[in-house]
Amino acid sequence: MLAWFRKAPPAAGLLALLLSAGPVLAQTPAAPAKPAGPDAQMLLFWFLLSTLALVLMVYVLVFVLIVVKLKPLLRRLYEMPTVQETWSGKVIGLLIGDARLVTGEYKDELLGHEYDGISEFDNDLPPWWKYGFYATIVFAFAYMGYYHLGGNGQLQTAEYETEMQQAALLVSADADDPNKLTTYAALTGPADLSAGKSIYATNCAPCHGASAEGKVGPNLTDDYWLHGGEINHVYKTIKFGVTSKGMVAWKGKLAGKQILQVASYIESLRGSNPAGAKEPQGEKEAGSKPLAAK
Amino acid sequence: MQVAPIPPLAAPEPPQVKSRVSRAVDEFFYDNRIVRDFGIATVFWGIAGMLVGILAAFQLAVPEANMNTAVTTFGRIRPLHTNAVIFAFVGNGIFMGVYYSLQRLCKAAMYSKVLSRIHFWGWQLIILSALISLPLGYTTSKEYAELEWPIDIAITLVWVVFGWNMFGTIARRRERHLYVGIWFYIATFLTVAVLHIVNSMAVPVSFMKSYSLYAGVQDALVQWWYGHNAVAFFLTTPYLGLMYYFLPKAAGRPVYSYRLSIIHFWSLIFIYIWAGPHHLLYTALPDWAQSLGVAFSVMLIAPSWGGMINGLLTLRGAWDRVREEPVLKFLVVAITAYGMATFEGPMLSLKNVNAIAHFTDWIVAHVHVGALGWNGYLTFAMLYWLWPRLYRTGLYSRKLANAHFWLGTIGILFYALPMYWAGFTQGLMWKQFNGEGMLQYANFLETVLQLVPMYYLRGIGGVLYLSGVFLMMFNLIKTAKAGTLLAAEKAHAPALVPAELVEEHLGGHWHRWLERRPLQLAVGATVAILIGGAVEMIPTFLVKSNVPTIAAVKPYTSLELQGRDLYIKEGCSNCHTQMVRPFRSETERYGEYSKAGEFVYDRPFLWGSKRTGPDLHRLGSKYPHSWHYNHMLDPTSMSPGSIMPPYPWLFENDIDYSTLPEKIRVLQQLGTPYPAGYDQQAVADARRQADGIVRELRKEEIEVKSDKEIVALIAYLQRLGTDIKVK
Repeated sequence: MLAWFRKAPPAAGLLALLLSAGPVLAQTPAAPAKPAGPDAQMLLFWFLLSTLALVLMVYVLVFVLIVVKLKPLLRRLYEMPTVQETWSGKVIGLLIGDARLVTGEYKDELLGHEYDGISEFDNDLPPWWKYGFYATIVFAFAYMGYYHLGGNGQLQTAEYETEMQQAALLVSADADDPNKLTTYAALTGPADLSAGKSIYATNCAPCHGASAEGKVGPNLTDDYWLHGGEINHVYKTIKFGVTSKGMVAWKGKLAGKQILQVASYIESLRGSNPAGAKEPQGEKEAGSKPLAAK
Repeated sequence: MQVAPIPPLAAPEPPQVKSRVSRAVDEFFYDNRIVRDFGIATVFWGIAGMLVGILAAFQLAVPEANMNTAVTTFGRIRPLHTNAVIFAFVGNGIFMGVYYSLQRLCKAAMYSKVLSRIHFWGWQLIILSALISLPLGYTTSKEYAELEWPIDIAITLVWVVFGWNMFGTIARRRERHLYVGIWFYIATFLTVAVLHIVNSMAVPVSFMKSYSLYAGVQDALVQWWYGHNAVAFFLTTPYLGLMYYFLPKAAGRPVYSYRLSIIHFWSLIFIYIWAGPHHLLYTALPDWAQSLGVAFSVMLIAPSWGGMINGLLTLRGAWDRVREEPVLKFLVVAITAYGMATFEGPMLSLKNVNAIAHFTDWIVAHVHVGALGWNGYLTFAMLYWLWPRLYRTGLYSRKLANAHFWLGTIGILFYALPMYWAGFTQGLMWKQFNGEGMLQYANFLETVLQLVPMYYLRGIGGVLYLSGVFLMMFNLIKTAKAGTLLAAEKAHAPALVPAELVEEHLGGHWHRWLERRPLQLAVGATVAILIGGAVEMIPTFLVKSNVPTIAAVKPYTSLELQGRDLYIKEGCSNCHTQMVRPFRSETERYGEYSKAGEFVYDRPFLWGSKRTGPDLHRLGSKYPHSWHYNHMLDPTSMSPGSIMPPYPWLFENDIDYSTLPEKIRVLQQLGTPYPAGYDQQAVADARRQADGIVRELRKEEIEVKSDKEIVALIAYLQRLGTDIKVK
């Protein structure tokens, strides 16, 4: 939806141009002198779109009315043998609802052969089928042309690049540098800690153990740390991972706030001495100090 | 039990002498025994294949159903199911219908009873060998072509016997023109032969192991040219031919349109062959080939529907009997299912639909509408129609046949609807981003656990469908017991008038000319089916820009190669893809999207077609060795709630190094640039790498011997997708 919104302004401009050509809508403010803000442009776009829809609906209504009113006349016209065979005659036939034009006529004339008692008619190809076939052939050529001759269609790599550009516009640029430390303070609010706990349970527990006692990954409750036990070090480890040792980078899987919540939860487990704790790994660090104090 | 009146003996029509030349009336005998035998085989293997399918279905809902043994694990069971239902159930169904109808349409007995018997028993032996070899892990991993090279050769020989018998019968026909059903039989025979031979090309390493002649992108293209057209020419064209015989017979109505059958036959076989690449949309296959796959798939709607409307419109004037006659009921649902599946297929080929549906259960639903509806129901219709005629009695119970019809129909719905739901759900969940621009369901497992209730329902659908088949089996046995097999059915027909005496009088439609000439018709069909494949394959093989090489991509080490062969053996590719598509939702989840040049040493390719588990192409060095060790031993320890089965035997079995030097030599012969003489160092090299992995595992307090299979598998998994470094 959002991606579509961004495409809207040029489309709106085009619509405005088209519509302003009509005398009825000549007074519509088609091209504002100053570039309007996105809200004004959006408003204009929806206004023009609904006007267009309204006009089309009126056209359809008038057309249906004409057909209904003129049906007896059209039928008489259609029944004239010279008319029925022509293209315009067929259009009239469709308008008055001659089903044979869609389904074909069942002539049911037997061919003069049979196989083990099976005989065959030689009925016409149903027109809906025949013209449907033509339509798919036209589609196929147009499709190949659009993507491979005109150079208009985006092939998959271009499509991917567009998608990534759009995503970059939507998501605020994450300027985090893996080499720099953040300056967060550990969260202590019960809501944050319980959020951190549930994030931990689904994402971290398989490797670090349900009580952070350490399994494949190290024990997170002791004073020994491989990549630093201070909250911002933990944050960095979670965010960028330590791929060489199998720690997954959670960037893109967990939001910045979620990473902070789970890091804070881990800090809160310090010294909890869970059962079956894994032996210490890494360097001993005293209790976590706020970074600002360093 | 109500007993239907005995159908009249298919009395030979009074000879219609259309020319002035008088002809002697020959007396001959149709071989009904071979029809009956193939019929029994189709019921027997149908039940077996569907039982295996039900097991596989419940394995996804209840991982314990994998039973903790290698031979019953999903990765080995799933190919057994697909091969059994395609080649055993439908295969025998084809032969049953062809042997019955061909004799009557040609007004001749089968060319050779000996060939018929060789064909029958040869085919059953091939099925038996599949039944044994697939659970043991002998597989090429190429879908619907999993059987290893000795069995492939046997298939080729038996297929030639079938063709010999068929063309022999056609050559001895007493009917000058070939009926539309026979055109379809001829196209089926030729195309399946071409598909099977081209796709199975491989260089043997040992008695039951070979490496594909093609690698990576090219292997994928050949495989899905085969895979798609196995559906076209094994599941579709022969059954269309059978429909053209059994439907007008059962309905007692003339075929709707001869002209339509000509146009839809030729357009169908010509267009179908091009559509294979729609199985590879958004992969590393060149864009132009993907686009051809889309364009031709869309053009395929009308030719496919030509068959459907020629079937349904043939029923005009017989719809009142559809209410009464189980055979017609089954036919109507079969043709309708065919129409639905062949409309859905082109829609799934559109790239925007495919982006959601591919790799999900949507595709599973799609193929089962075709398999259960079209193939299953048409087979049942043939059986219910044939059995009373073969045994000269009425059907034992129409009520049971009707019960079968409804059980099966409800079964199809119970199967398909949950799978559509599951596929759509999972496809959307994979792509969902939250407001912060991150994957809403970053943990793949969340999207799997969402589907488990659907997997139960699907399994129930399968049980319903199979219980209907049991009713049919009972009904057919009772029918057979009540009558006696008319093993040789007496028939009369005037001898064929020599062509030169009659042709000038026949005239008529231009296509009649071709119908008098089986050879020309066969040549025409062959040309029609060769064009599409050639246009797609030759440039992909010869034009270098289609697979841009990447210098950093190196061949697998000997231990990784062993691990890769274990990955193939265990059938991992049945649930895991190795193809990260160029979508933001996939590159966020898995890493850089897959490039064509990364697969140049992959023989066979292992892109997979279904993500029951996550993609593995960028798995390498994402987790420590210990993670994989624990995960393979018990997946739920690393991924709580995982539905992946454990693989304890990998921790007990020793790596089989005996064929490794030969593997290296074969790969060298195929062009993999291992240094000269590497075959002799390969085992030592593998042991060295294995020791390194064991040392690293020891650091994490995991003790394992370096010659266990798990070590090789870890080596392979850690290599996956690591050749190119992104960022």
